[in-house]
Amino acid sequence: MAAESGWHTLDVRVPFVSNEHAEIARRVIDVDPELQPSSVKRHLKVEDNVLVASFSTLTVRLARLTINSFLENLDLVIRTIGEFGDDAAASA
Amino acid sequence: MVTRRRKGPLERPDRPYVALGLEGSANKLGAGVIAHLPDGSTKVLSNVRHTYVTPPGEGFLPRDTAQHHRDWALKVIQDAFKQASLRPQDIDCICYTKGPGMGAPLHTVALVARTLALLYGKPLIGVNHCVGHIEMGRLITGAQNPVVLYVSGGNTQVIAYSRQRYRIFGETLDIAVGNCLDRFARVIGLSNDPSPGYNIEQEAKKGTQLLSLPYATKGMDVSLSGILTAVEAYTADPRFKTNAAGPQDETSDIITPADLCFSLQETVFAMLVEITERAMAHIGSKEVLIVGGVGCNERLQEMMGVMASERRGNVFATDDRFCIDNGLMIAQAGLLSYRTGFQTSFEESTCTQRFRTDEVHVAWRR
Repeated sequence: MAAESGWHTLDVRVPFVSNEHAEIARRVIDVDPELQPSSVKRHLKVEDNVLVASFSTLTVRLARLTINSFLENLDLVIRTIGEFGDDAAASA
Repeated sequence: MVTRRRKGPLERPDRPYVALGLEGSANKLGAGVIAHLPDGSTKVLSNVRHTYVTPPGEGFLPRDTAQHHRDWALKVIQDAFKQASLRPQDIDCICYTKGPGMGAPLHTVALVARTLALLYGKPLIGVNHCVGHIEMGRLITGAQNPVVLYVSGGNTQVIAYSRQRYRIFGETLDIAVGNCLDRFARVIGLSNDPSPGYNIEQEAKKGTQLLSLPYATKGMDVSLSGILTAVEAYTADPRFKTNAAGPQDETSDIITPADLCFSLQETVFAMLVEITERAMAHIGSKEVLIVGGVGCNERLQEMMGVMASERRGNVFATDDRFCIDNGLMIAQAGLLSYRTGFQTSFEESTCTQRFRTDEVHVAWRR
């Protein structure tokens, strides 16, 4: 993803147990657009079992807010998968 | 004359249908499981809730409320399944509150709903919070075609059903009545446990004088923010004594917090009864259904009952399991919707802070 010139970038790599789980996390988080799309760009993709999140923001403050929110949401998704993942696989 | 409920578009299901409902638009986090059975009946399987209670004098803010929901979501959902004696794979759909409400808390619940939907391959149903209250009220009370007074911390609307929409006949022009009561409870330092509204109701029972407050019905609508300002202004009155308790004799010129709670309730509830009556007169209805957290208030129910019986009508209300925000109502409204063929696509499973009650196509009613 090309960052705008002068913008701040963050790349986060989050490994999951499987490609399926990484895809679930990507799809769940990707539903919502960023609150300030003109100053925050987000790109999510999955490589094997790793969720790769790339952010590009206009200001450092926005970088902090964006990554903080992303990690809080991701943590919730991960805990949900952790709580229900085995049972879901068993019932598939 | 026998009154028969007009047959709706939904036939009796060919098999049991079960839905999970998730609610988190304010400070209550709820998960409920409901079943629609082939004999045409509806069964409550579980209704679990955890409330985020703030210290006295403080309201709940979106960020902290969302944190509370993140902390409690999985436990509440697991408990809902356990109490229903069901596993997630047994349910037909996952219903969640799409809106209206507070952004961050709504979003938290949506994230969990989406994750569960993908893990178990279940369809998602985005539900309007207000419609959830109405459908739960209809189910529990059996009211046929009532005027609905929906009153809570976030909403104050008078609603009547017509041609597959819940139409708003009257509403607050500014703040919700529950918001007005809650904010005054904060000013006088009442506890938020179990809810500020409950504690205002108890305090009001000790009031002995009706103080003058603005009475602000505006046609079919009400305005509440000015009344809040006025009742707060009394706390700066020299006659106001925070610690005064017990009945005052007529010669002592003292205003107690109980007097203010009493005066506030009497005033705003009278206004709500008036706009409800206007809607009843307009559509010729004899039934009132009160839903939403403020609907638990027994004084409001009593006052509404006086008006309704003068019109030879009835008031219907539910208890705090169902009138306070809960996941079960989301499951009920969601399952009705699902059975008419409605679904929310994954990409559209967002949340929205503004979601008008009349935006929903009530396909499950004639």
